Amino acid sequence: MIQLGTSTRGALSRERDVREAYAAHSGELYGFAVRSLGDSGLAEEAVQETFVRAWRAGERFDPKIGSLRTWLFAILRNVVIDLGRARSVRPGVAEGGIEPSVEPLDEALTAWQVEEAMRRIGDDHRRVIVETYYRGRPYAEVAEELGVPEGTVKSRVYYGLRALRVVLEEMGYED
Amino acid sequence: MKTRNDCREWRELLGAYALGHLEGDERAGLEAHLDGCAQCRAELASLEPVALMLPHADPARFGPAPQPPPELGQRVAATIAAERERGEKRRRRRFGGFALGGAAAAAVAAVLLLFVFGGGEQSAQPEQQVRFAGLPAGIAIDATLKPHAYGTEIHMYVHGVPSGTLCRVWLRGPNGASYPAGTFRYRWGDDSDAVLSSALDLSRTREIVVDTGKRTFVAPVNSPVAALQIRHKEEAT
Repeated sequence: MIQLGTSTRGALSRERDVREAYAAHSGELYGFAVRSLGDSGLAEEAVQETFVRAWRAGERFDPKIGSLRTWLFAILRNVVIDLGRARSVRPGVAEGGIEPSVEPLDEALTAWQVEEAMRRIGDDHRRVIVETYYRGRPYAEVAEELGVPEGTVKSRVYYGLRALRVVLEEMGYED
Repeated sequence: MKTRNDCREWRELLGAYALGHLEGDERAGLEAHLDGCAQCRAELASLEPVALMLPHADPARFGPAPQPPPELGQRVAATIAAERERGEKRRRRRFGGFALGGAAAAAVAAVLLLFVFGGGEQSAQPEQQVRFAGLPAGIAIDATLKPHAYGTEIHMYVHGVPSGTLCRVWLRGPNGASYPAGTFRYRWGDDSDAVLSSALDLSRTREIVVDTGKRTFVAPVNSPVAALQIRHKEEAT
């Protein structure tokens, strides 16, 4: 797996390490927090709490086990669960003791990863995948619209999937 | 159908195939090629997990991602700085309590705090964390000592003395001889360690001394005894 973590030190216990980590990863963490919480205010709270927890546990971060990015996402995931619980704990709602399911959050993380990867691949590649896969349009129709041979649309779908694979690996995704 | 002899031409169909978009002769031809081409089979296997992830995504969200507001970074930094300040206050109170708690408590404190890594005179010696205990209210001093062939590397953390204070550091050996480790200035708002070095081997070091001009602080190194000392100079004020 390709690691995108910027810190080579074994700890995140210094404030300047946290500042570097924030500069490198806050955008992605915020994007996922907005995606899963559906609220920019809560997302800001989640990102702030993630970096505070990371700083508190900084000595436990080991770059040999995984990238800083992966570690921060694992913390954010827990923060989002906690925020979701806090939100659901309201009089008359929490009395049944039903814990919010974790499953939708993992799905949200997968969804966010694909969406983020789609943003990072080339426009031509994204376009053919959107048209043929998500909109279900025939290849011939897409080819005519783009003014290219049908074979070119097919090869762009192929190179687009390959690009997605590379970006997902860079983001820390493993099969 | 068109004859495709070039492996690359078949390979470029693998994306549409992985998405289930290939039909008829083209699909049959590719499958026949896959039967005989391990390279294309491996390529297909690397694309299939990606194809399986696509249904999770929402194409309406492929546009620019929302960005955190610029002040969020400042809020994170301020929250962490405030928490660090609170932690230091707690730590100072804790050490103050030990200093007042009598010899037994001080001995326990020394064992707990000074010998984090075992200490003692060993050939392959680990680094040591030394804490200056029983400090006046508001002052915190820590040091980490690392053994080297040239002597000892010292990371000093000082907090709470006036900003701009010149701090002189040295190590003392078994016979009381002093080995200078250098000087540094403490600045308010700077949470970094000063990195110094001394020629005295860590295994032979008995004390580390920090002189801030008005006061001299001493902490034992490699000592199983709780020899926590503060020597206050006679101050005019």
